[in-house]
Amino acid sequence: MTYLLNDDQKDLLDGLSTVLTRLAGPERAMQLGVGAHDDRLWRALTDSGYLDAGRGGETGPLEAALVVEAIAGAGGLVAAAASALVAPAVLDDAVQGPIALAECEGSPLVRFAPVARTLLGIDGDEAVLVTDIGDGEIGAVKTTFGVPVGRVPQQLWGRGTRLGAGSGDRVRNWWRVGSAVEQAGGLAAALRLTVDYVNQREQFGHPIAGFQAVRHRLAECAVLVEGTRWLALEAAALRAGPETAATAASYANAAAKHVVAETHQLTGAMGFTKEYPLHVYTTRAQGLTLELGGLEAHSRAVATARWGALMSR
Amino acid sequence: MDFQWGAEEAEFRNQLREFLAGELPDNWGEMSQNGPGSEAQAKYSRQFCRRLAEKGWLTPHWPTEFGGGGKGAWFHAVLGEEMWAIGEPRGPQYMNVNWIGPAIARYGTPEQQRTYLPPISSGSVLWCQGFSEPDAGSDLAALRTRAIRDGDHYVINGQKLWTSYANHADYCFLLARTDAERAGAKGISVLLVPMDSDGIAVREVPSMVGERYFHEVYFTDVRVPVSVRLGPEHDGWQVVTFALAQERVGAARYARAARVIDQLAAEAAARGRLDDPLLQVRLGTARAACEAARVLAYKVTDQRARGEPPTPDTNVARVANTRADLAVAELALAVYGADALEYGSTADANYRMAITAGVAVGATEVQLDLIARRFLRLDPNAKARA
Repeated sequence: MTYLLNDDQKDLLDGLSTVLTRLAGPERAMQLGVGAHDDRLWRALTDSGYLDAGRGGETGPLEAALVVEAIAGAGGLVAAAASALVAPAVLDDAVQGPIALAECEGSPLVRFAPVARTLLGIDGDEAVLVTDIGDGEIGAVKTTFGVPVGRVPQQLWGRGTRLGAGSGDRVRNWWRVGSAVEQAGGLAAALRLTVDYVNQREQFGHPIAGFQAVRHRLAECAVLVEGTRWLALEAAALRAGPETAATAASYANAAAKHVVAETHQLTGAMGFTKEYPLHVYTTRAQGLTLELGGLEAHSRAVATARWGALMSR
Repeated sequence: MDFQWGAEEAEFRNQLREFLAGELPDNWGEMSQNGPGSEAQAKYSRQFCRRLAEKGWLTPHWPTEFGGGGKGAWFHAVLGEEMWAIGEPRGPQYMNVNWIGPAIARYGTPEQQRTYLPPISSGSVLWCQGFSEPDAGSDLAALRTRAIRDGDHYVINGQKLWTSYANHADYCFLLARTDAERAGAKGISVLLVPMDSDGIAVREVPSMVGERYFHEVYFTDVRVPVSVRLGPEHDGWQVVTFALAQERVGAARYARAARVIDQLAAEAAARGRLDDPLLQVRLGTARAACEAARVLAYKVTDQRARGEPPTPDTNVARVANTRADLAVAELALAVYGADALEYGSTADANYRMAITAGVAVGATEVQLDLIARRFLRLDPNAKARA
């Protein structure tokens, strides 16, 4: 066991960092605006093969997770988790991205749906794959929650390919891991921004980082962000078993709720403005907590995976 | 990055489980409810640790030159998890192998190593930790117990407080101020004091945690030879820092907490409550907190395995450990409800054990301070200096 990146993983992330430094970052996300998709970044990431890390001969889900985390940390407005981590883990063949993940019987509002070329849905215990989605087939809705959101017409699922019993759970587990990994990257970035802010922001004659009330609250956030990161990466490396996946998602969701509230509180009114990058991360983090039933559903899934045999239903 | 256990560590875990299943007494469940600091476990640890030592499993992580197995940090992690999960039958001796022995191995003279380490690695000695004082708790460096040099001896006067196991210990790992002229961390030395020395008096401090858990230890003109000093004179703070870093993730409270949640789920099922969605949410959330504490402890173990010096990841892991422990104790109260009201019941015992988690080994606030400064680099003077 080792928590250090190996040389190949370092090389992968170094190369990706070059792309993200050039093309992503919170300033870019603010420039594009809430609800936008970064087509330029998407093309660069697909052309350079970073979104294929989950399908490589030498790389796999862990490397894909590291890629997703880094993109989220850079505020990259692309559907990285679904395209780079979830789809390669559950589909034998590559499909055209961007990919959006949905629950067929759930809300029709789906993150990244307006730009998706492929939908991967969960319908009971089966996954449903809808490809060749045309321009304008899924209408965009205005959103607060960071990334593009679209309303998926119910009839779209009718033309999908059903992937067989058990495939629904596989998608759900990997979706949970993808969500946790994305949270890990975004929450860490929100925390870094807030640390920089309180180190600089002076009130009462000195930086507010000097107040113990501020320091302790950010330290609590650090514990949650670190826990989120390592549970998520472990779950990816251990191939998203039902319990590890739900555990990572449960912890990430609880962390997101706490870290989003705290980073906004400590950044004051500046944090609400679209001229300051905190919202790039926090709105997206909140959006993620709305998927798959959120914290309560993830936590119940942990309980069911671990103690289901003791339950009567 | 690789999150799979090695075959050797996995095998060690299996062997330990098999050994524990055969070794622990029939009344272990009852005995272990009061935690490693209890009277019963302190006594039992002498028998248990000798048996563990015979198998070579008391100090598998120590270097072979000090009677260890040379197996390193991951074996240590497996050992800690299995012991804590089952209720820590090593009793107070977990301290011996986690940080007292390693501190002596690191800072001791060859003679001290020959004197103190073999009894630890054979499981035949109990130590207590003489750190806290009435006016030195979180601010440990404020300690006032004095050890004044008198030729080849120190003469110790002062009082230690909250000292677990002091009533059974053979030795005290004592912090004392050897340079009375200096305050704070400067001027402190570590002394390895035999508890049967003349002038030592131990008094129990009754507490809600359990019987004979905390003690006061009074030192009145206690004379010890200079040869019992561990590390440099007046500069023992570095030894303390090293010891605390070992200790903070030494106790795998998360493993015990995780085992308790499994028991709580079974109890909830027996009470017909496991289908309650709210309880499922709480169980799952608490389980996730334990798992987070586990991976954060592993991150520290990984650094140790590479021989790196302690980092603030230790403090992060400690806070996660504490949060998990407290969450599970609360959950136990929720599952048992009014049945927790009886002293010694499962939920009561868990509550009493967990309540110390945020205070022992440096209060949570101290951990948060260290995370803020060293991990996050929160700097109140950032702008002024820029």
